[in-house]
Amino acid sequence: MNNTVIDAHDISKVYNPETIPVYAVNNVHLHLGKGEFAALVGPSGSGKTTLLNLIGGLDRPDYGNIFINGVDITKLSANQLINFRLHNIGFVFQSFNLIPVLTAKENAEFILLLQGIKKKEREKRLIQLFKQISLEDKMNTRPAELSGGQQQRIAVARALASKPQFVLADEPTANLDSNSASNLLDIMSKLNAEENMTFLFSTHDQRVIERARRVITLVDGKITTDTDPTHSVQITHEYAHNEKL
Amino acid sequence: MMAWRNIWRNKMRSIVIMLSVAIGLFAGIAVLALYKGMMQSRVRTVIDAEITHIQIHQKEFKKDYDPSYTLPANDSMPAIISRMKRVKLVARRSITQGMLTTTTGSAGVQINGIEPDIEYRASQLREKIIKGEGFHSDKKNEILVGKKLADKMKLKTGSKLVLTFTDTTGNIISAAFRVAGIYQSQNAPLDEVNVYAEIKTLNELLLTGNSFHEIAVLLNNDDDLPFVQQQLKQIFPGYLIESWKEISPETDLMVKTVDEYSYIIMIIILFALAFGIINTMLMAILERTREIGMMVALGTTRIKVFLLVLFETIFLTIAGTPFGILAGLLITGYYHKHGLDLSGMGKDMMASFGFNTIIYPSFPIEKLLAVMLLVTGTAILACLFPAFKALRLEPVEALRR
Repeated sequence: MNNTVIDAHDISKVYNPETIPVYAVNNVHLHLGKGEFAALVGPSGSGKTTLLNLIGGLDRPDYGNIFINGVDITKLSANQLINFRLHNIGFVFQSFNLIPVLTAKENAEFILLLQGIKKKEREKRLIQLFKQISLEDKMNTRPAELSGGQQQRIAVARALASKPQFVLADEPTANLDSNSASNLLDIMSKLNAEENMTFLFSTHDQRVIERARRVITLVDGKITTDTDPTHSVQITHEYAHNEKL
Repeated sequence: MMAWRNIWRNKMRSIVIMLSVAIGLFAGIAVLALYKGMMQSRVRTVIDAEITHIQIHQKEFKKDYDPSYTLPANDSMPAIISRMKRVKLVARRSITQGMLTTTTGSAGVQINGIEPDIEYRASQLREKIIKGEGFHSDKKNEILVGKKLADKMKLKTGSKLVLTFTDTTGNIISAAFRVAGIYQSQNAPLDEVNVYAEIKTLNELLLTGNSFHEIAVLLNNDDDLPFVQQQLKQIFPGYLIESWKEISPETDLMVKTVDEYSYIIMIIILFALAFGIINTMLMAILERTREIGMMVALGTTRIKVFLLVLFETIFLTIAGTPFGILAGLLITGYYHKHGLDLSGMGKDMMASFGFNTIIYPSFPIEKLLAVMLLVTGTAILACLFPAFKALRLEPVEALRR
């Protein structure tokens, strides 16, 4: 598939392999194309965050390979992975994780500085981003003075600042009230539409699930359903394969 | 910028670490200044009040202080030395060793025959007299005794005593003297064994005529010592020409040893500082585990995380440094001018080691850079452990906390 962004092949993550093995992610096969807006759902402990961490290069699978835009990230060294994340993946965390000593603008700028982008270009990008998240007037405000919803919008701006290949969001609305969650989803949908940005987010939140164009359900580390019709056959095959094991 | 802002996250903690740096620097400066002041004071006493810069003797004289080993009786040697540009003062002394006897007992002493007017300037003997008026030009057989000896022998001004010694012909001579004054120097052991009589009185008894045993040379500048000593050795090759360092090697050794001690104390202070920094920076990193994990997740390289911790420590150190230096220099400067009275620590004890009880701390300004580098170096070394701890954080683990 030419527009494939994420291509995970038979990936597994096992804890306690020597004693009582626990498969946090079990033989998962997942493709995500450019511009998708997908939700990863499932009960607590189903492996959503672990799967996001594996796809995001924050953790390494024990089995399988993960290709991001054709690059097998499981083969990259620790330093190469850091560099790869910097240029290809945007992260949004459940608890915002903004740097408290930096202003909203500086938080979003942080990643651009790491990339060595010139000041003029940074300024241009930040103005555009803050306009998109409707927080132009809060650019010089520190996170502690912002609401949870505003902080998460800054986190989204930070994730998108470097124009990554895709954005991984781990329970982005978990700490937000209904209005803030709805607002955030509007912004993410808009960015998805305007910039054709690929989003994959883990969630429990029904409002998020309803807005997603594709819903992948994970139970006990396995994908049980995927609303993307192009993958359903493959999932069935995975089950058959696992049953044999 | 981030490192600078991070240090103000927990103001109280940062202020405590800055104060630690400041106190560490202050303590370092104070210790170095105090020791330097003590040693300078001791060296000044040795030069100005005990030995002078250079002493000249017959080579055999100091073996057993035989009074027959006199320097040439004419005035040529002192005159030549006096004409030298770097020389401040030349004093002639006749010296012999003998027994001091009073009604209460006896004690071995070194009898120094001096020219009072010159000696008062050469060894500040006039200033040391605490009782009595000193030598009277119209009286003979007067003697100055040290306070410690006077206390031991129960001598007062006007007391009579008998000095017994051998003359240049080997005959034993006894002569009665009257105490014209009691002196007290900063070196109690010397006070106990040195008595002073007029050179002409002693020479008459020793049968040495106009000759003498010792030429004491005081220079205008301490730094000229090696040059003048070398020059004198060339002019008077057959004589024993010694500097104060050779005559009092224990003082020279003490200066060097105390210099080393001051560095040991400095190292102890720096150790305490290092543990303070380690503790603070570890706490700072543990508190920010999740944040550091997030930074690495976003693409911050480990070297940048390391540098962040390093810069935070350097900023904390740099922020504390001016206060420490300022406090150190101001306080040592004040005491350098007014003197630090340590008599509460035991005047007798200080005197028994030859130290003045009033110390004038003197910080060797050329060591300021070294002290600053030591403190900064310690801070950097101390932050290495917390920095490596931060380096080893795995983003997944860190974000989970």
